[in-house]
Amino acid sequence: MDNEVNLQLETVQAAPAVRPSGKKRRRRKAASLDKRKARSGWLFVLPFILGLVIIYFPVIVESFRYSLSSMKPSTEGSGYLIEFIGFENYQEALFVDTSFTKTLISGIRGMLIDIPVIVVFSLFIAVILNQKVLGRAVFRAIFFIPVICSTGLMGHIAANTSAYNDYMADQSQGINTGVAGEGGFAISVQSIENMFANMKIGTEIATYVIGAINGISSIIERCGVQMLVFLAALQSISPAIYESCSIDGATTWETFWKITLPMISPMIFVNAIYTVIDSFTSESNAVMRYISTTYLEKSQPVSAAMAWLYFAVIIVMVSIVALLMRTYIFYQKRDA
Amino acid sequence: MDNNNINNAPRILKESKNKITVDFERTSKIERMKLKYLNMSYVGTLLWRILRFALLLGISYVILYPFFSKIMASFMSEKDFVDVTVKLIPKYPTLDTYKAIIVDLQYFQALLNTFLLSLVTALVQTFICCIIGYGFAKFKFPGSKILFALVIFTMIVPHSTIQLALFVKFRYFDIYGLLNLLGGGVVESLDITGGVTAIDLTGKLWPLLILSLGGIGFKNGLYIFLMRQFFRGVPDELEESAYIDGSSVFRTFIKIVLPLSVPMMITIFLFSFSWQWTDKFYTDLLYSNNQMYLLPHLIGKPIPSLNYEHAQDIAEAAAQNTIGLMIIAPLIIVYLFCQRYLVEGIERSGIVG
Repeated sequence: MDNEVNLQLETVQAAPAVRPSGKKRRRRKAASLDKRKARSGWLFVLPFILGLVIIYFPVIVESFRYSLSSMKPSTEGSGYLIEFIGFENYQEALFVDTSFTKTLISGIRGMLIDIPVIVVFSLFIAVILNQKVLGRAVFRAIFFIPVICSTGLMGHIAANTSAYNDYMADQSQGINTGVAGEGGFAISVQSIENMFANMKIGTEIATYVIGAINGISSIIERCGVQMLVFLAALQSISPAIYESCSIDGATTWETFWKITLPMISPMIFVNAIYTVIDSFTSESNAVMRYISTTYLEKSQPVSAAMAWLYFAVIIVMVSIVALLMRTYIFYQKRDA
Repeated sequence: MDNNNINNAPRILKESKNKITVDFERTSKIERMKLKYLNMSYVGTLLWRILRFALLLGISYVILYPFFSKIMASFMSEKDFVDVTVKLIPKYPTLDTYKAIIVDLQYFQALLNTFLLSLVTALVQTFICCIIGYGFAKFKFPGSKILFALVIFTMIVPHSTIQLALFVKFRYFDIYGLLNLLGGGVVESLDITGGVTAIDLTGKLWPLLILSLGGIGFKNGLYIFLMRQFFRGVPDELEESAYIDGSSVFRTFIKIVLPLSVPMMITIFLFSFSWQWTDKFYTDLLYSNNQMYLLPHLIGKPIPSLNYEHAQDIAEAAAQNTIGLMIIAPLIIVYLFCQRYLVEGIERSGIVG
């Protein structure tokens, strides 16, 4: 009897106490779900974290340290003697080695010319390949061949076999044969130069266009990934939008500027950044080649210093492009 | 009113039990054709179509011509190189160049090695980048933005910046605890008799495997980025319903998300495989000693059997180009089978900001 009353009392007392604790528990549970999700997120990216911590950060730090030191083969054993010498390597790269700064500046100028051409060209081709063209599948297959096989290797071969390229250029009279764009446009360059001289629009634009035409094959080869990304972006625009535009009487030309371009502007941004990164870090560009010859033939720490300077340039370039383009991007609001 | 209607009504030409042929009064066929085709907008469209096609043909020509000329040159014999009248198409075709490359340079051995190396790294990279991309796309956790910025960072750092340090890392491989670099400043090579301080991993499969496992290999930043974009396009409801049914995160990933992402994974695999195949940076850096004989090693090697009296320069250059062709030929074959997925996978990735 006494026991029963006690029990009842307990339940009565417990009843109000249960509620807040239940609420608390529920809240704690919600937090733990978040935490659990966060934990599995960490687990998924764990390989990358490990890679960064074990390999990448040490390598980056070491690389920076090498750029600040001198490296000599040690007298005993087969190792190297590393000595801290401050910024001497950087000084040598910038002021002693005269051709490095020259290569750097001309290389950057060349790439700055190429980047807008590549982005515009790949967008143009993507738009065309997205339309219903005769033999679209075949053209697509051809256009993505460079993605697969125009890496540093083929450029390397082309650079090594310039004699052959000249020979073939002679044979084919004015058709660019070099994979890396080394052959000559015997006819077209001259005539286009004349055309621009007659048009009197200023030599700068003329040289820009001529440069772009001269490098057409190298530009086509560097467009592959960008073209893929643009195609994906174009495919993702809802056909309903185009339909409603045509019902409202918009021409294709208007639709392109008012609909297509704003809709894919995030991808233009991504592609611009990718193009900057890709053309600056590809092994076929002049600066990278110069650095690797320095690595092989001269001093390895100096090449590390050069590479760090070059990396600083890339960071600056990427951030300039990012800042310039950020204002023009239109983000489509995703339905909540 | 009535009259009018009757005039406009279809005239019955032939009538049977279940078939009727009628004739409408309508503008003649020629008129209709004229209206349809003889206006500015149709002519404009037609012109645009022709121009478009011509442009595509022209660009395809620019892409394919080097291959064509190289293929042709690879069949040329000594006589062709000397003969001035030979333009592009050889008059005395021969397979000597191919034979010489296969025999003198042990082409097939290099092919096998490269195939295994590319296959292993591509498979590992595809899988690892898929996992990492999924983690970035679907989970919010503290530090995810910084980590993703680091992914972009690994893309930006040029090869040559980490060249020397990467080589030293794998030549004298150790992980933090075994560092003797910071201590004495003397990098000691592996000396089995005198205390193991570091392991030489160059010339083996390990360096690339380690880099791929960490998601920091060649262009892995791009793969992670693409995978992340792809997974952001996959609706969350799909996984949520699986969670509600009691499936764990990893089971959901393996059973539901992975099968979905096959086209994208094929794209990544194709990129990874072919870029590893033709990569020169890692081959030069880590496989410079001939422990592992790879296809890029063939470039620039002298070919003793091709000893011409005349036109030696051109013959050698043509042989180099032939080597290039033979290096990418297997890739082209793989590409022809997979190219459909290349576009498909990317198309499905969609865009999310």
